[in-house]
Amino acid sequence: MLAYVLRRLAYGVVVVFGVLGLLFVLFFAVTDPDDIARQSLGERVPPDVIEAWKADHGYDRPLWPWQDWDDNQLFAHYSAMLRFDFGRRDSDDTKISDRLLDGMGPSLSLTVPLFVLGLVIGIPLALVVAFFRETYIDRLGVLLCVLAMSVSILLYIVGAQYLIAKLLRWFPISGFDPDPSVIVRFLALPILVGVVAGFGGEVRFYRTIFVEEGSRDYVRTARAKGAGEPRIMRAHVLRNAWIPILTQVVLSIPFLFTGSLLLESFFGIPGLGSLTVDAIRGNDFSTLRTMVYIGALLFVLGQILTDLCYALVDPRVRLE
Amino acid sequence: MRRSMRSEPTLRHRLVAVGCLALASASCGNNPYPDSEGSKKVLYTSFVDAPRSLDPAVAYTTSAHAITGNVYDTLLEYHYLKRPFELIPGLAKSIPEPEAIAGGRVRYRFDLRPDLVFAEDESFGLGGEGRRTRAIESQDFAFQLMRIADPAVNSPVYEPFSSIEGFGGFRERLGALRAEEEGFAGLPIREQYQRAGGVAGIRTPDVSRLEVILAEPYPQLLYWFAMPFTTPVPFEAVEYWNGEGDRERFADHPVGSGPYVVASYDKEAKIVLEANPNWYGVQHPEWKAPGATYPSEGEAGDAEAGRLDPQTVGQPLPFLERVEFIRERESIPRFNKFLQGYYDASGIAKESFDSVVLEDRISPEMAARGIELAKTVRPAVYYIGFNMDDPVVGASATASGRGLRQAMSLAIDSREYARLFQNGRGVPAEGPLPPGLFGYDADYQNPYRHVDLERARLLLVEAGYRGGVDPATGEPLRLTFDTSDTSPQGRLRFQWFVNQWRKLGIDVEIDATNYNQFQEKVRNGAYQIFMWGWVADYPDPENFLFLLTTPMARSVSGGPNTANFQNAEFDALFEAMETADNGPERAATIAAMRELLERERPWIELFHPEDYTLFHDWLKNVKPAGISNPTMKYRDIDAGRRGEQREAWNEPVLWPAGVLAVLFVAALVPGVRTYFRERQ
Amino acid sequence: MPDWWFSNAVVVGLLASCGALAVYVRRNRLWSEAAAGLWRRRPLAILVVVFYASVALADSIFWIGGVDAGDDVVKQHEALSLVDRAFLGTSEASYSAPFADVEFYGGAPLQQQGLHPFGTDILGRDVLYLVLKGARVALLIGGVTSAIAIPLALLFGVAAGYFGGRIDDGVFFLISTLSAIPGLLLLIALIMVLGQSTLSVCLALAVTSWVGFCRVARGETLKLRELEFVQAARALGVSEPQIILRHILPNLAHLIVITYVLLFSGLVLSEAVLSWLGIGIQGSWGQMIVQASDEISREPVVWWNIGAAGAALFGLILAVNFVGDAVRDVLDPRTLREEA
Repeated sequence: MLAYVLRRLAYGVVVVFGVLGLLFVLFFAVTDPDDIARQSLGERVPPDVIEAWKADHGYDRPLWPWQDWDDNQLFAHYSAMLRFDFGRRDSDDTKISDRLLDGMGPSLSLTVPLFVLGLVIGIPLALVVAFFRETYIDRLGVLLCVLAMSVSILLYIVGAQYLIAKLLRWFPISGFDPDPSVIVRFLALPILVGVVAGFGGEVRFYRTIFVEEGSRDYVRTARAKGAGEPRIMRAHVLRNAWIPILTQVVLSIPFLFTGSLLLESFFGIPGLGSLTVDAIRGNDFSTLRTMVYIGALLFVLGQILTDLCYALVDPRVRLE
Repeated sequence: MRRSMRSEPTLRHRLVAVGCLALASASCGNNPYPDSEGSKKVLYTSFVDAPRSLDPAVAYTTSAHAITGNVYDTLLEYHYLKRPFELIPGLAKSIPEPEAIAGGRVRYRFDLRPDLVFAEDESFGLGGEGRRTRAIESQDFAFQLMRIADPAVNSPVYEPFSSIEGFGGFRERLGALRAEEEGFAGLPIREQYQRAGGVAGIRTPDVSRLEVILAEPYPQLLYWFAMPFTTPVPFEAVEYWNGEGDRERFADHPVGSGPYVVASYDKEAKIVLEANPNWYGVQHPEWKAPGATYPSEGEAGDAEAGRLDPQTVGQPLPFLERVEFIRERESIPRFNKFLQGYYDASGIAKESFDSVVLEDRISPEMAARGIELAKTVRPAVYYIGFNMDDPVVGASATASGRGLRQAMSLAIDSREYARLFQNGRGVPAEGPLPPGLFGYDADYQNPYRHVDLERARLLLVEAGYRGGVDPATGEPLRLTFDTSDTSPQGRLRFQWFVNQWRKLGIDVEIDATNYNQFQEKVRNGAYQIFMWGWVADYPDPENFLFLLTTPMARSVSGGPNTANFQNAEFDALFEAMETADNGPERAATIAAMRELLERERPWIELFHPEDYTLFHDWLKNVKPAGISNPTMKYRDIDAGRRGEQREAWNEPVLWPAGVLAVLFVAALVPGVRTYFRERQ
Repeated sequence: MPDWWFSNAVVVGLLASCGALAVYVRRNRLWSEAAAGLWRRRPLAILVVVFYASVALADSIFWIGGVDAGDDVVKQHEALSLVDRAFLGTSEASYSAPFADVEFYGGAPLQQQGLHPFGTDILGRDVLYLVLKGARVALLIGGVTSAIAIPLALLFGVAAGYFGGRIDDGVFFLISTLSAIPGLLLLIALIMVLGQSTLSVCLALAVTSWVGFCRVARGETLKLRELEFVQAARALGVSEPQIILRHILPNLAHLIVITYVLLFSGLVLSEAVLSWLGIGIQGSWGQMIVQASDEISREPVVWWNIGAAGAALFGLILAVNFVGDAVRDVLDPRTLREEA
């Protein structure tokens, strides 16, 4: 067991290395440090000021190790990331770690309720639909899911903002205030949009799992024996279906931290997602690098956790 | 059998349902502010992008100046109401006259007001335990000017100040000492400046006098003293707020002398300014200082607009106790919140324009809500530029290039563009100078800025491009329109221009790349047609015309003359008017320059942007600022009226929720029945 | 060779291969039964997809000349498609509502009164025209990207599953690394490197979406490799490429078809998000939606362009999703087994 865990961890480390390398290559294939300097300093800036800025931020060194083994950006990039020294944002020199901590709160306050609601609504709905397999409820349910999945999330957001915030005035159109007495108002609309936009795919996914479990031989046997359908659902289907569901859930947990780019941007929530969008639009390498790194770390973490859960739950896996 | 699933307490279910409804309605309602704030004189406004830096030596964008202008006071200011813009004394007692001295130099002498004090800040503890502030001295102004020269500060306005005697020399010495001397770079900043010998042209004979000596005349220098670049900066703040450990950087922690201080600064979400008790206007209202008293004169129209209310005139400033800037990235939510009363003033999103403005006046629906409209023409110009270095459209193509540019200029109707994309806002530009500047002639009509497709086609024939066809290829002439705006909305605008030139038979392709690639193209001279804008730093025509001079050309010095217009005659005329006094001679020179530009067409002048500001009737004394920065101190709020209106406008509409609930239950009923049937 | 010749060639090629495919399906009993089953289940959805495809094809047939373009002289020298030609001369000055006689803002009379079923946009272009042109872009995104992603996934997946060992490790590493990078960020970086032409965006989308199917292909190949007939072939000394081509790949065919269809809709929806970020493809419905989404706050509301583009997008995705489900039902071995 321990060997298994260690092996997965080691593999995760290798993947993270690969990600960092790929990121470095991609970014510098596309951007010139002079441009990063200009974006931060503004256009009307003399060349010596640009050189000074680049020197300050370490962008004046050669890129590749074979150009200078002692002082090159690739090694610096790796060593900084491994030490979790995220440095400062290119655009305005604020500490990235500060921004990360500040942004995590709002992101989580959006993604966690979204996730939980998705599960709490999605799984029972899928159960119900699977229970009523082949009846009108099932067909209607699947139809609704497909309809919901076929609408672009952009339309959901624009529509929701127009209908609910503007016409009905139930919630503010956008914005955020961590004050507990008002926070619910700001989160209600993005969470609603997120749930509606996502439930189509989720319910279908869970339904597929339940229906598959429900058509397994041993379940058929139970039915033939005359057990009531609700009992079958509970005792057999749910019990065995929760493994793939759990996989999905655990796999998703790391991404709760990185926030939803679209929702945060449209609804003005100052979390990690909007931080990433700003970094993309502003060509801010240091922030982008940090976000990708964190994303990769969390992803690898999620994979390891999932594998661990599998190993705990399914004895066959452990023996591999 | 098992009754457990059905008789699971329905009472519990009911309670939960009621609880949810209660929670929902309690959190329902769209007021984004705490209810306790309702009665205070707080102004709520928004910003789109957080300022990159609030360091007064560096901050150069409108969003930064919105804050630094109110937090950092200057020796001179602009009169709030008078137009054209006039300077008034701020921290200085009076506006200095330039004195000519030996060697062609010019001297300005500033006398500071007595008893000026910085805002409270913990950085002053550097000068003694528990010290929270100190008096402002002339050395603090000198310190800031030296910071502009400091290469490590990376100030973007080094150029205009380099006319100060010894400015460049100081910069070099400082750089050299840092590079060569051990440990020099670790010394406190003020010591470094002293060791580098200071700037010869900046003198502080005593704590309340500042002298600035220029190596040659530069009359526009005084305007720079109305901008935050020349504010007094305490060296303690610069040394203390160095960004190390837990401390913020000075760029995020302003310590100034203005009517407001930055109370909280969350770049991603909210910036809060609060009134500064140490400000001279609060400490000494008896001085009736021009910068601390509500003005008693203005221009025509101010009295009718309610800006010269006898109750307000002569009153000490500031009126507002707090200003909150809230981050709003998208224009629609911003505008809608304004309509709901949650922002006190707003620009007008172009999509909402027609509900707000009718025949150039505020629409009846808006007026019924007490919303008012203020219009100003910004001292700026937007134009389409040709790269004069380009072989096809530029100077080297001599007559054929000129004819091409003239023809293309004749195809663009600024008014139509403004109508489609700006709701008709914007004064069509006939030349580079905007209204309000000396040299602007409201009667001047540029013959090439009024659509005449016939004439354009004739010009093309003369230029060798009959029907828009390139004789070399036999196909429509292909040109490129380079832009860094890749948004779908931007695309529509450029497509409109392209459609106009297609009428002449010219095939212009839009090349939209991201910002970096665009800058790359510009640096390499690989661009033909582009769209640009310039906003005045100060109200002098030199600030616009210098954009077309040879020393400023992009290909020559990386300067802002992106059109690379290099014309010896124009340069000579520019030199003549640069430092001249405003008078008939200067006007004649400017007119000659305008004629030259008419013929040569390095620019197709589009329009001078017009700002329409909407504000609620509870916001008083609003006048669009233009280039003036410290405007918050003049404004006032009637909090009671605001509270009333907000409540009236924001009742939540709850009936659809009820309908939805009923529908939901109705949909469930057959399912539930089937369920129970299955169980038997 | 100019772009438009290439496009015409592709149209011919597509029609030819469709014909060939039809003949093959007719001949092969398994596939023709599947096709019949598919038609039985979702005739409407299939018709809708065929309609969109026809429009896209019509928009891909270009030639120059034969145009009396009125105001726009340049058009006489440009390659115009069938759809372009059908809508020549339908421009107005600016917005107009569906079937209106006058301009929306300002009330000036239109040039083609009452003839714009979906109104016109801010530049005066007929919205029906823009929507029809969007079909080609959408099908390109979905079709071309899947056509790149699936072979890519097969290449790596089958190799990993069949040969195992180092190759499997290598592929697995590649997959893990790519999966770990947030998709949107990778997409943006790739588009910045490759440029913003249609092909580049398709390539970038393909690179970010092949991983899922690769895993599936690998898993299936692993299972197939252990089956008797494959073992037998190896024992007989049949060469590996032959085994892969004749035994493994055909048994993946049903998965390929299912994945192709399902990937399609996801890709088209992703492009809408790319348009919002400014890196989408010219003329796509996503771009129209983004351009128009500002407009629904106008008073009075300009709803027809976002409505038309949104409906067109929704229509295609819905139809493809239905067809995809039907395809999966028809080709899923389990279903086939149950129906037997």
